Amino acid sequence: MGIGLRPAHYADLLARARCTDWLEAHAENYFGDGGYDLHVLTQLRETYPISLHGVGLALGSVQGHAPEHLRRFGVLVRRIEPQLVSEHLCWGAANGRAFNDLLPLPLTHAALTLMVDRVARMQDVLHRRVLIENISSYVRFAGDDYDEASFLNALAARSGCGILLDVNNLYVNECNFGVSAAAQIDAIAPQHVGEIHLAGHLVTDAAVIDHHGARVADAVWTLYERALRHCGRVPTLLEWDTDLPALDVLLDEVEQAWHRYDEVEAHVLSA
Amino acid sequence: MSSALELLQAEFAGFLAGQPASQEFSGALLPRDARLPERLALYRGNVASACRDALGAAFPVLRKLVGDEFFELLAHAYSDAHPSRSGDLNAFGTRMADFLAGFEPVDSLPYVADVAALEWAVHRAYRAADADPLRRERIAALQPEELLAARFTLHPACSWLVSPHPIASIWLAHQPRSKLALPASLQQHEFVLVTRPRWRVEVLAVSAGELVALDALRAGMSMDATIGTALRTDRDFNFAKAFVRWLDYNVLVGLEESCTLLDS
Repeated sequence: MGIGLRPAHYADLLARARCTDWLEAHAENYFGDGGYDLHVLTQLRETYPISLHGVGLALGSVQGHAPEHLRRFGVLVRRIEPQLVSEHLCWGAANGRAFNDLLPLPLTHAALTLMVDRVARMQDVLHRRVLIENISSYVRFAGDDYDEASFLNALAARSGCGILLDVNNLYVNECNFGVSAAAQIDAIAPQHVGEIHLAGHLVTDAAVIDHHGARVADAVWTLYERALRHCGRVPTLLEWDTDLPALDVLLDEVEQAWHRYDEVEAHVLSA
Repeated sequence: MSSALELLQAEFAGFLAGQPASQEFSGALLPRDARLPERLALYRGNVASACRDALGAAFPVLRKLVGDEFFELLAHAYSDAHPSRSGDLNAFGTRMADFLAGFEPVDSLPYVADVAALEWAVHRAYRAADADPLRRERIAALQPEELLAARFTLHPACSWLVSPHPIASIWLAHQPRSKLALPASLQQHEFVLVTRPRWRVEVLAVSAGELVALDALRAGMSMDATIGTALRTDRDFNFAKAFVRWLDYNVLVGLEESCTLLDS
């Protein structure tokens, strides 16, 4: 079980003995040539395995291939030697502009071909397998050729990447579009799943928003158990990015995740 | 020819940049009900808040000077004029000072453009490469003539700027928990050094001669030539005082002794 690394927790993490199995850092926050953030990450990697999670490559942008961004990512990977590296199934740049958001791709054959190519380039530059994460969205596209699970399965099979399964995002999309998250979990190819993300969300009138600013909802814990039964022992990250609470609240969520994990394992062993 | 996917992304991008959604674009989207405009508006809102938050993080003093409400308008106007081009939002805001210099609504606040230039220098310094300080024993071991003949390397986080406004004093007075008062006059030149002794970025008001000296050092001049150049610009240039400051604040990180001198 890991937690997201945020600057507000630097001092606490540096002062305490190891308090979680691993840490996930947003890669772009450490793209500088030096300075305090990189110094802290370099210190913490002595104690914790690190996962580098990219949020800015916007892999599915037709016009947005970003070799310089990828090069910087490569410099960071060589420096930190992370256990896991991940990015998203999304796009984010067009018309000469970067939107710095995870925008939904139509799940078409053309989008799959593009993503296979971009993931391959990413893996070539980073010299390693990466995990690609399903996103939450507020709009989707009519006429998709795939659902998320089958798109990710095909992407993994064709590019050799793994899947970062965000259970909260599946739940958010179920609320926003009526697609069964449980069915998506059941359809994902378990051998490709290399990490699971859990987070809180916000319910509004217009949509459910994946804001990473609350505890994990009960329905998402239930889906997490389902994902564990389906995928087996997969490293799990508790994400919390907005309205960040004290480190102990995150660690309490980690305890909750362990509780679910143990229950599923006990159930599997007794079956 | 552009693919359907490329056209779709161009349409989506146009919408995010403020253009209305075409019927064809909306028709390709789900959900097909009254929630769609609200859902699309969420994306526009996300993009605007990401830009505002990134600029707010890079320009906290500017934000305090103009207020949250105006800063929101400014962030919007800036994003339209110089949109983000990188997936790394830390790179966003590089032209803020230039933009403010030509932004009519801030005509009555002529110092904000230079404050923004200072904040961008601070922002860059925070993420600049690390460098070990020059050890004082190394300096102490030099004969005076060796010191004068030596060339120095400056810390990669160091930069400096000059303003007709007291931008360092303004910046310092707006730091969290600062007890410093705002300068009495906003029409007073300041010569500002930005440096990062270790992790924290420092902003220092220095003398005109000191910045001329730093220009000379960065250009690779010997200390002797540097002092001469600084004194020609600023007759009050106090070399000893500046040199101690450079060592205290880790401005100097490398030293190359002159070979000719060592040979002689």
